Amino acid sequence: MSVGLLLAACGPAAQPAAPTAAPAKPAEAAKPAESKPAAPAAQAAATTAPAKPAEAAKPVTVSNPPTSPEMVDAIDLTGKNVEVVYWHNRPQKDQEMLTTLLDEFSKSNPYGIKARAEIAGASYPDVYNKVSAAIQAGQPPEISVAYQNQAAFYRAQNAIIDINPFLKSKKYGLSDEDMKDYFQTFLDSDLNPQFQGERLGFPTQRSIEVMYYNADWLKQLGYNEAPKDWKTWEEAACKASDPAANKYGWAFRHDASNFASQVFSRGGRILAPDGASYVFNSEAGVETTAMIQRMFKNKCAVEIPTSERNGEQNRFAAGQVLFTFASSSGLPFYQEAVSKGSNFKWDINMLPNNGKPAVNLYGASVSIYKTTPEKELAAWLVIKFLGEKAQTTKWAVNTGYLPVRQSAKADVLNTYKADPKWGAAADSYARMFDWFQYAMVESPVAGYDPVRDLIDKEVATKAATDANADPKKLVEDATTKANAILKENAPKR
Amino acid sequence: MDVTSQAGQIDAAGAATAQPQPIPGLRRLVSRKVRERALGYTLLAPALIIISVFELFPIAFGFYISLCDWRLGCQAIIGADNYLRGLQDAAMWNSLLVTATYSIITVPVQLGLGFLIAVFLFQRTRGHELFRMMMFLPYITSTVASAAVWSYIYSPDSGLLNTALRAIGFSGLRWLGEPAGVFALIAQQFGMTLPGWAHGPSLALVSVSLYTTWVFIGYDITIFLAGLVNINGELYEAAKVDGARGWNLLRHITVPLMSPTIFFLLIVTVIGTFKAFNHIFVMTGGGPSDSTQTASILIFQQLYAFNRYGYAAALSFILFTVILALTLTQNYVAGRRVVYE
Repeated sequence: MSVGLLLAACGPAAQPAAPTAAPAKPAEAAKPAESKPAAPAAQAAATTAPAKPAEAAKPVTVSNPPTSPEMVDAIDLTGKNVEVVYWHNRPQKDQEMLTTLLDEFSKSNPYGIKARAEIAGASYPDVYNKVSAAIQAGQPPEISVAYQNQAAFYRAQNAIIDINPFLKSKKYGLSDEDMKDYFQTFLDSDLNPQFQGERLGFPTQRSIEVMYYNADWLKQLGYNEAPKDWKTWEEAACKASDPAANKYGWAFRHDASNFASQVFSRGGRILAPDGASYVFNSEAGVETTAMIQRMFKNKCAVEIPTSERNGEQNRFAAGQVLFTFASSSGLPFYQEAVSKGSNFKWDINMLPNNGKPAVNLYGASVSIYKTTPEKELAAWLVIKFLGEKAQTTKWAVNTGYLPVRQSAKADVLNTYKADPKWGAAADSYARMFDWFQYAMVESPVAGYDPVRDLIDKEVATKAATDANADPKKLVEDATTKANAILKENAPKR
Repeated sequence: MDVTSQAGQIDAAGAATAQPQPIPGLRRLVSRKVRERALGYTLLAPALIIISVFELFPIAFGFYISLCDWRLGCQAIIGADNYLRGLQDAAMWNSLLVTATYSIITVPVQLGLGFLIAVFLFQRTRGHELFRMMMFLPYITSTVASAAVWSYIYSPDSGLLNTALRAIGFSGLRWLGEPAGVFALIAQQFGMTLPGWAHGPSLALVSVSLYTTWVFIGYDITIFLAGLVNINGELYEAAKVDGARGWNLLRHITVPLMSPTIFFLLIVTVIGTFKAFNHIFVMTGGGPSDSTQTASILIFQQLYAFNRYGYAAALSFILFTVILALTLTQNYVAGRRVVYE
């Protein structure tokens, strides 16, 4: 429901207090707003050009959601005691840390906002299902984790809001310095092409798809470094394979991100830049499919059944697999598994490429649900707090994800290097920061989940199981189906 | 109404106007019936409320959703479009075919084997109680947990089954990951190629069916044993006097008198196979190449992966109709062959 607020803007001299700073003195506080329901006509988005100093005293009508930084500036949280609930899928250990962080926020913010976290499931699909049900029941949380494509789906139902006005708000937004401190590729990954570049989420963590490899084994095979091109990689993987001894060059995991990473590294894309069509039927897509097919035809790869949890990681740690492609957030787990397993020397690298490096950047962001302007602003302030250097450092150290700010990099690395549990993985982790420049995003559009399923079942799995399938036909057929799904899920305008 | 008995009233003209005569005791009778009904409904109320809130309302609401273009709310009422789409959807027909195949494989094996084991256990052989317990254990074990364990048994490269096969000189199979038909695979061993229609169910589906049999056979055995206990022992005595032995006793006494139990289990098992979801989802997720995509799996995927809420609801009602038709057919065909003592 739209809520209109008629506010007297504060004078130019009044400086906005940082949300996490000590409460402002009454004299410095912004003048409380006179709140009254908006007339129906006033409920439309009231986007205005940035106010000139002379116009600063003009009252601003706030729509729900706010569509301009000025509207956000005009929201007054004084005495509202807003509560923000954050749904996520992290385990209990992380929930405890998140609770500590949010308690700190609740105590320190000058607006009386109370924030708490709730585990809404064990996985992203769990959260997605719960959020979908909550939206239908008209009781969404204030914020939740959401992948870009899931956020696009929510946005198509008008359930989440564009964060840009909050981000750009003079009073509550991020300073230019802060914006520069964030990794630009992380920020860009939440700009949605289906909704004219609306920012449907905000990053609090990221990870990339990397290649894990058994360095000792690779050396035995005569390679002194990780293969940089696909031809060498395939050659090494097949050299390593000995099915009779249960040893394979590559662990094939049923995951569309695996396929997407390989397509990127061959210069291709999953989705066109404008978000209007799927394009993995390119040469890069065909090459990727053909290679998967060859790897199985020549018995150089082993399929990890969907029911086998962490199968590729366990086999890697047991010294049964030379290469795996997996999330960088798995680094500490790989480290732990290898140290308990065969305890060999291992490392990570970017996937091989065709001359131009590319890495698949992923990780869920945090989205703000459409509630009331006050709650939306409070939600933004929580997200902003979680993105601050101290918090993103703690989060990265605790979870193995990458911090979202450049200023946090040194602290995170120092913590890892001081922790014997990380061992050599700390050095590997450090190298990832140099790879962000090559970051690519899979598909931030509504309806990507079934397309992921399609890519796995109709392309990768068929290539792995049918030596006679035509790779070109597989990707062509799947792309056609994917585009039909894209059309079906496109926002109705 | 005044029910006091009156002979009538004399009007101004002296004519007697007839008044309706009340039936003696009617008021008492009516009020007693009302009271009885009120008491009945009062006693029924808790169950009716629970059934209405948790069963009837969701069914009705589900039907409403099936008439909508539903995303996270009803975008538009589209009438029977979802149903028509379902009937034209090759994936829906394929899922029904897979479900029927799964049922055809599972039901006879489960009931046949269950019946034989029950008869064997009924003979009071040594250790029969231990056997009963062992047979029943899979049924009371968490389906998700046991399905996950069986997935490991079926693992192509390090699973128990393939390890055993390799030990005796055979090459391993892909089991849950094999979309090819079992007959085609057997023919392949002999260097033959079969036409498409003769490929048979996928090895993945057969593997899942094997697991299903392992799980549910314990339940069938328990019900069969309960049925066997109810057969009058004197009938066996009389038959033995007439010279009947093993097979004849089974054929002419046990099976006919067990027919109500067999009929009950047949109905329950067929419905169960058509609704099967948990273990298939854990073991294969409907793959490989949709070869284990039963109707329930398809509905789940349409709902959670494709966000087609209305369509998934319509498919659910189509599946309900199929199960209802099957049950009525079974009632008609098999119900007449049931012998009640």
